[in-house]
Amino acid sequence: MEDERIVAGLHCGEVQADLTENLDGRLSRERSLRIEEHLDECGECRRLNGEIAAAVRSLRELPDEPLAPEIEARLLDLLIAHD
Amino acid sequence: MSDADDARISDETLIGLTAAGDFAAFDRLVRRHQAAVYRFARAAAPSGEDVEEILGAAFLAARRGAARYRDEPSARTWLLALARRIIDRRYPRTNREADSTPLRDLVRSAARGSLEEHGAPVAAALEALAPEDREILTLCDREYFTADEASRVTGLSETAVRTRLHRARLRLLARLKEDGLGR
Repeated sequence: MEDERIVAGLHCGEVQADLTENLDGRLSRERSLRIEEHLDECGECRRLNGEIAAAVRSLRELPDEPLAPEIEARLLDLLIAHD
Repeated sequence: MSDADDARISDETLIGLTAAGDFAAFDRLVRRHQAAVYRFARAAAPSGEDVEEILGAAFLAARRGAARYRDEPSARTWLLALARRIIDRRYPRTNREADSTPLRDLVRSAARGSLEEHGAPVAAALEALAPEDREILTLCDREYFTADEASRVTGLSETAVRTRLHRARLRLLARLKEDGLGR
């Protein structure tokens, strides 16, 4: 994947390094706008950005499984034994 | 006590009662957070063999340390930090901080292929990652911890948390694209 190319004034490499910060809304408004301009014009970075976002989304959609009853029972036994 | 009644009692109150020797309050606190502590221990421990022991040790440490609970963002961060300290004692972090893979290599791996073509289950992809990656993804993308909260749990700087999170997301993406994973 290209990282030396300059699109909309930014190297792909520096945009790729900032994708998580941008997705999480941690960049300044000015920096974020510049990244978005780059993504508008650079198909490779845009695709990577979309895939990272999709991966994060699917991670966040994983169900929070409750503790298995047998593990919960053993934990309670341990805590009672130390009461 | 109904779930609604239970929810009205704050974690901080339960921790205070625990410190005063109230086992029922401690039991309620445990039930609220046991699944998250287990999930975190499973993610962060290098071996899956002693996750249950780490879970138990973390809650025993919580009971012993309840009187010292203060200035924490939440009970959850406190409990996960206790679990992390237990993991650190069992698996000293001599080389666990190092991540020398150049970012461009991670980007190349993550960009290869497409999610649509393969699409491994995300739980399997997460499981296949190194504990350092699983840990940071669990904290930031499953528990929705801020960099500050994740920093308190891991002992890493906030900058290191952010850097590690980006790298972990790239590795997760690369794993998700690997053909046949988890199927």
